Formats: sequence, C-alpha cells, structure tokens
Amino acid sequence: MTSNTSTNFAFACKLSELKPNVPLPREVNDRFVVLAMLDGKVFCIEDICTHDGGTLGDGELDGDCLICPRHGAKFDLRTGDAMCMPATEGTLSHDVQIRGDEVFVQLKDN
Amino acid sequence: MTTTIARNESVGFDQAGFEQFIERRIDPVWITQSRRDSWAAFESIGWPNPREENWLRSDLRGFKLSRYSPTNETESQSVASAPVRLLDGVEVAGSLRMENGLVTQELLDPKYSAKGVVFGSLSRCVREHSELVKKHLHAQINSNTDRFAALQAAMWTDGFFLYVPKNVVMEKPLHIHAAMGDGNVDLSHALVVLEEGSEATVLYESSSATPESAGFHCGGLELVVGARSNLRFVGLQDWGSNTWHFAHKRASVGQDANLQWTIAAVGSKFSQVDQQVNLIGKGANSHVNGVLFTRDRQHLTYNTTQRHSATHCTSDFLYKAVLKDRSRTVWRGMIKVDEGADKTDGYQRNDNLLLSDNARADSIPGLEIKADDVRCTHGSTSGRVDEELIFYARSRGFSRQEAILMIVTGFFQQIFDRITIDSVRDALGAAIARQVRQYD
Repeated sequence: MTSNTSTNFAFACKLSELKPNVPLPREVNDRFVVLAMLDGKVFCIEDICTHDGGTLGDGELDGDCLICPRHGAKFDLRTGDAMCMPATEGTLSHDVQIRGDEVFVQLKDN
Repeated sequence: MTTTIARNESVGFDQAGFEQFIERRIDPVWITQSRRDSWAAFESIGWPNPREENWLRSDLRGFKLSRYSPTNETESQSVASAPVRLLDGVEVAGSLRMENGLVTQELLDPKYSAKGVVFGSLSRCVREHSELVKKHLHAQINSNTDRFAALQAAMWTDGFFLYVPKNVVMEKPLHIHAAMGDGNVDLSHALVVLEEGSEATVLYESSSATPESAGFHCGGLELVVGARSNLRFVGLQDWGSNTWHFAHKRASVGQDANLQWTIAAVGSKFSQVDQQVNLIGKGANSHVNGVLFTRDRQHLTYNTTQRHSATHCTSDFLYKAVLKDRSRTVWRGMIKVDEGADKTDGYQRNDNLLLSDNARADSIPGLEIKADDVRCTHGSTSGRVDEELIFYARSRGFSRQEAILMIVTGFFQQIFDRITIDSVRDALGAAIARQVRQYD
C-alpha cells in the first residue's frame, strides 16, 4: 500500500475506479472507508454506521447520501452527517486529495 | 497503523499446509482422523456471515488468514519477553508454558502425580493418556460451529490437559502461560477434567512479546466439572494490540458441583469469544465474572450462554466493561432453560462504564425459558463517568487521573469481591491501573 507520511495522506484507489454515484468501499491503513464521486468531486467517509457499528459499504446512494443497508440510516457523503433515523450521530468524514489518477485520503481519528 | 507480517510464503492455512502439518505430527490415529474431519468442515464452511446474530456486530474484513502461517513444531520457539502477571506471591502445584501454541516447559509436584493427577502438554497426553483424553476432547465444542472452530479442531498444535481423579483435592493452583511472538500464531487447546469430589484452581494467562504485537490466536477451552467437584478457573487475556483473538469456551457442571470462572480481557485488537456453561447435574452451580478494559480501536465481543438442563441449578454471570477512546465491546448473554429444568435460578448482568464520547458498548441480554418453575433475571447498565464525582475528588486533593482510577476501581469492586484469589485480584488491579494511567 502506498502512503505519503509527510502529509499523512494514504493511497485509497485509482481515480478511474470511481464511477459517478457508485460507492466504493476500500481498506486504507487497516481502516475501512467508502469513497464516492459526486458531481465530479470525490468524497470519503468512514465505513461505519453510527447506529449499529456495522458497515455501510454495501449501501446504495440516495442523492448525496449513503443509505445503511441494514436499517436505512442515511449519511451525507460530503460531511459524514447523519441525515435520518435511526442514526443520530455523524460518521467520520476524511479529507481527499487527487494526484493524477490516484486518490489519497487523510484518515481522521475523531 | 499498517501491520506487516513476515511469513514463510510456502506454508499457509491451506490444503498443502494442512498436509505438512499432519506429516510433522506424532498423533494417534484417532486424532489424525478427527483432524481430517475438521479440516473437511473448515474447507466446506464459509467465513461467518456478518448478518448472523453472533457476528452481526463483528467486522472481520481486516482479518486475513493468508497473513499467517501454522507454527512449525520442528522449530524451537522462544517468546521470553511476554509478561507473566498472575504468579506474584503464588505457590503453585504445577506450571506450564506455551510459546506460539507449543508447550516448552511443564512441571507438576510429584505429590499430585502420585495421587493420579495428570497435568501437561495436550499433545503428549493424547499419546500417553489416550483413553482419558479421547472421552472429553472436542466433546463440547462442535467443530462445525463456525470456520474458526473447525480450523482450531483441525490444526490445534498443543495446549494443556488437567485430570484430577475422584476425591483428590489440589490445595495449590496450577499456572499456565501462553506466550505469542510478534506476527505468530497460537492454536492451542485446553482440556480440564475434574472427577467426582475433586478440587482444583487453574490460572491461565496469555500475553504477547510486546504490547503492540500482531498475531492470530484461535483457541478452544473445555472444562468438565464432575459431580460434587469444585473448579476455580481464571483466564487473563493480554494479547498485543494487533492480535486477532478467537475462542470457543465450554464448561459442563455436574450434580452439586461448583464452577467459579473469572475472565479478564485487556488485550488484542479484535476478540470474538463464545462462552457457554452447561449445568447438566441437579444442583450444579456456576459463577462467571468478566472484566473487560478496552482502549484505542479495540473491539471485544463476548457471546455467553448459561444453559440449564437439570433441576435446582444456579448460574450467575456478571460482566463489567470499561471503555476508552474509540473502543467497542459487544456482550450478548443468553440464559437457556430446558424443559423440565425446574427450580432454576439464573442471573446475568452487564455493566459498562464509558470514558469517552466515541466508545461504544452493545449489551444484549436474553432469556429462553422452556420450564415453568424458574427464577431468571437479567440487567444491563451503560453510562459515562460522572464529572461531579471527579470534581469532588479533585477538590479533596486528588489528580484527575487518581480520581478516575478510584471510580474505575469502585466500578469493578463488585467483581473483585467475588474473586477469592489474592494474586488474581492484585493482577487485575494492576492491569486496570496501567490502562487508566494512559487516560487523560
């Protein structure tokens, strides 16, 4: 796995792997994230539903939101905010950098 | 942190690796056949489905079996730096040390050997005490339960066997230490058999070479507590913070027998423990104490079952967890009462103390009762540390850290009061203090 320690950005995927409005789950530095391209911009959130602690990666997109496949909670891909019940807290949103055809993310802890 | 584990690329947990493993072993034919059956189960069972209730809250995506290699019995193992915590001030009747799942040292006071006590390497005992072991080995853990149980039943490397004959009382405890090197594997199995009227105390602890060590532990534990016998069993899990820990633990408790089982877990990156106590004889009694302390991104899951199959049995499970940082615990407790198991008295409780906004504790108690004259109760609490208590303690001259240590110690006091072995209480107190020291 490629990582850039000087800026703490880690390689997540190739830009060409991202299809518009299709979520892409990835493992980055032993953590799991979901990437998505919305209106030509790439966003990345933690692959954890704050309602039950399970994965969001299999969920579908609804506009700018990712829907949890188990109980229907929605998370804004741009900010990580929880948009509807049963989730009441947002999930982590990570900064994204594009370098050529590569997508890098900076994983947050809190 | 990304963990890189060096391993011999030519040997893995695959068909070729299994055949090489069988080739290296000196096992009786019945063991080899049992291993082959379990390997077939391993090959046919898929990884646990994340939609199954027991695995619903467990994220296995980060676990990659291909990163690990089976321990090679022909190579010497040395994990000298793994700490031992339960031995301070304890005089033991015997001790056993395992390194990467292989026994490297075993001792038993000849006084007990003369009384017929058998204690030592499981691999050795399946050869030297075949009939004793055969009756109980993997009798309680079904290797088809899941892929980890099947792998463990197929490729257990060693472990320990304790047999205490009828009416023999072991006044001093036995101590077992399982040590694992960075990036290594421990597939050990433990079997304890107490015959009628006997008594024993077992202290079983596990630790890694360094606090940050990676590794893979897939273990099995079977306790057979015969009629009117008494077993005190203590387990302290302190694997390194990058270790994956899977275990199936079973106990059967006979007529008027007593089992006091204490489990403490502070280590590992991820743990999934399936613990079941079966009360099979009239008047059987079991007390289970659980202490969990998690930090960073640790994830510990305990699925517990207390199964009442006979009348007049008592079970009492108490699990307490303290969580820091972004750690997570999942506790699922189930009291099952079979038809006809009247006069059952079952109790289960799980309390969680959260030291951080981002920690998460899932507590799921349950009852399944098929008898109509029983008393079964359960309870669960989860909450944050009361800032007013900390403020009060600080106003009396304590630092914030001292105040939190007092509150956490008080939270665990109910369990400490149920532990009758001083060294275990001291070791748990020290482990908790170590964890709290890192809290700000």
